Amino acid sequence: MKTNERNLVMSDAASRLRRLAAFFSKGFLFLVAAASLVAVLLIIVYIARDAIPFFKLRGLKELFAGTAWFPSGNPPEFGALAIFIGSGLVTLGAILVAVPLGIAAAIALSDILPYRLRQAVKPVIEILAALPSVAYGFFALVIFAPLLQNHGGSLLSLAAWLIFLPLGLLIAFAVSEIATRSIRADVAPAARWLLAATLAAVLVRGLAALSAILKNVAVSSGTNAFNVSIILGIMALPTIVSVAEDSLQAAGRELREGSYALGATRAESLFRVIIPAAGSGIIAAVILGVMRAIGETMVVWMASGNAAQVPQPWFNFLSPVRTLTATIAGDMGEADQVLGSERYHVLFALALCLLLISFFANLASEWILRRQARRLGGLK
Amino acid sequence: MKLRSRRLLDRSLTGVSVMAIVLMSLSLLVLLGPIFSRGAAAFLFRATSEFRRFNLEQFNRGDSRRIAAESRAVAEARQPLYGMLAAFTAELEDMDPARRRELRQQFKEVRDLLRELLGPLPGEMDAVMLRQQYGQTRWDRARVTLQRILFSEQWDYSDPSRMGRKVLVPRRQAFAGTQLEPLFPHLQQNLKSMLQPRFTFYWRFLSDRSLDSHFFGGIWPEILGTFYLTLGAMLLAIPFGVIAAIYLSEFAAAGRLVSLLRVCISTLAGVPSIVFGLFGLAFFINTLHLSHSKSVLAGSATLALLILPTIIRAAEEALKSVPHAYKEAALSLGASPLRMVLTVLLPAALPGILTGVIISMGRAAGETAPIIFTAAVSVGRPLKLWETLNQPTPALPWNIYNLATEHQAVDQIRHVQFGMVLTLVLLVLLLNLAAIVIRARISRKMRG
Repeated sequence: MKTNERNLVMSDAASRLRRLAAFFSKGFLFLVAAASLVAVLLIIVYIARDAIPFFKLRGLKELFAGTAWFPSGNPPEFGALAIFIGSGLVTLGAILVAVPLGIAAAIALSDILPYRLRQAVKPVIEILAALPSVAYGFFALVIFAPLLQNHGGSLLSLAAWLIFLPLGLLIAFAVSEIATRSIRADVAPAARWLLAATLAAVLVRGLAALSAILKNVAVSSGTNAFNVSIILGIMALPTIVSVAEDSLQAAGRELREGSYALGATRAESLFRVIIPAAGSGIIAAVILGVMRAIGETMVVWMASGNAAQVPQPWFNFLSPVRTLTATIAGDMGEADQVLGSERYHVLFALALCLLLISFFANLASEWILRRQARRLGGLK
Repeated sequence: MKLRSRRLLDRSLTGVSVMAIVLMSLSLLVLLGPIFSRGAAAFLFRATSEFRRFNLEQFNRGDSRRIAAESRAVAEARQPLYGMLAAFTAELEDMDPARRRELRQQFKEVRDLLRELLGPLPGEMDAVMLRQQYGQTRWDRARVTLQRILFSEQWDYSDPSRMGRKVLVPRRQAFAGTQLEPLFPHLQQNLKSMLQPRFTFYWRFLSDRSLDSHFFGGIWPEILGTFYLTLGAMLLAIPFGVIAAIYLSEFAAAGRLVSLLRVCISTLAGVPSIVFGLFGLAFFINTLHLSHSKSVLAGSATLALLILPTIIRAAEEALKSVPHAYKEAALSLGASPLRMVLTVLLPAALPGILTGVIISMGRAAGETAPIIFTAAVSVGRPLKLWETLNQPTPALPWNIYNLATEHQAVDQIRHVQFGMVLTLVLLVLLLNLAAIVIRARISRKMRG
């Protein structure tokens, strides 16, 4: 048997060889792993390399302060303020949709739903995350936009009822509760119910008035910031839900049980204990969701209307807007042939802005999540 | 606060959060519902005799004798209609000039629409474009065209305070008293025998090339292009991703360099997809000259960068979840670390890695923005394998965009668009389903 003849202790030469091999294989592995570092550097360098000529030629002021976007005009104008505002508006809308919904869903997933239901909801989130953006865009353009255009007013008023009625009733109840706290105990219940009923009546009247106004809103074009905001909000949901749920989970059992032991209800321990503890993680979740909305191309390109104008007034969600990503996607086709022109470089300048935004947002969320992990780790 | 009201507030929190979950699930249903129902209509629909004639003449498919018999029956059914057209043409000649001028334009419209509905009218020269050589191949489209023949759309601006209102005016009114008047009720009653709609399952929608810019045929070039792009991206990204994950989970000592690497990976994951597209254009095409202009290769490379972080993270997670005992047993038997990784760690982590790979495959297949400038064209034929090195290709996501926004007759090919979306969504869903199944099997195995 040949193997038995081998020494159990390796010879010096063999050992050295083996260490050398280990060193080189480790070096090789590191080099491959460094590919993502190289990729990030290359992306920054190559986007910046084609963006800088634009700033050299036209300076900073026009791009960030001008509102006239006529890259193919004569002379061309590159005022991208309206485009930045468009991106901001759409992202704001997406936040308004996704953040309340996402955080509520994350709370349900981490604390409220029983295990089996939770397992059933997980695939829903996964599918929402997995659906291609062009499918969302197609839905926004072909189904949602005509719906909005033809029945926009009634849709809006329905949405107002659905959102504000439960919320308003909740607030009316809480307010009446707090306001009657210091009243004598024997009249307090009556006063409380009276106040709550009055507030509810005011709310319903107000909502009726609001929905009457909304019903008469004519949506001139279904492809607008409102449409895109809702779709982007749905797209950002999975990110927000899963990151926020992770950080709610990470807050740990001890905190929850401690809070329950002190007599707090589930809602109270969530709002007073768990969410403050998981707060930074939730902020990171929101940042990641926002990034998803800012960086999304297809939905905004297909369904935002692509009009490079500042909405009047600035929060008018029913006006068509144009975003950074859609501008890059839409204008590059024409600028492609005139490589090296201002039209070509301005798109790289916009891309550089996008890249920087996502870079810093990412660093911030990374930093927040890491800090939270350290803090909660120390807590245990 | 009273206990009762505290409980009520607690309940309302439960209600709100459950409502959020319901709303989320509902939005998924609302999203997928029309995509599935209208996408299915690309495959399963009532095909007219024109569809069968088209298939016979263009793809040489179907029983030629039966189709010939059907054509004869259809021609017979159409004969009275064409007779009315001829009679009215003669009548038009004898009218006084004012009335003739008035009616001629409308008659031309009717003839054009009839041509769209039934194919070339008798005695006309063969048209160049395929869409002019055949009538409506789908019964649903035929009904739409019929509606346009029966009623003309006009806009009512009589109320200056409102936007114009669409009014449908029966065309019959304009031709009252002429020989064309009976044509409209006749057409309405006999359209079925003129087109003979029959339920058809057109599975070849997936494997047919498209003809006359998607007016006819299927979506094979797009499917093949998506397949090439995804395959290329996976081939490039998997080795890099898995090796990087091995390094990060097994060999990297905690240090500045490694945390920099991690920051880079998450930065890469956060880069907007359109920026990847621009980078692919500036780097792979304009600098490295991987290909003269857009090509599948350049698109694959760009997509590979996009999915690299996903693969690294999934693979690292999978490698980390392999029990320590496995590694220690291998190392204590004298295996070198590298050998341990190759023979013990990787096989044990393989299902987990596969899950990540499959999910990122779905991502690569569905991404549009990175391939706009690097790989996608709107019209193209299916590529041979070697042509992927220097040829651009149509691809499902790009062509969905293109057909839905830039096509010359967007409304007429809605079924093709929905069919494409359904195909892409099904592809992604199936990939995710596979990942879910694999994950369930892993967790069963882990539990023992």
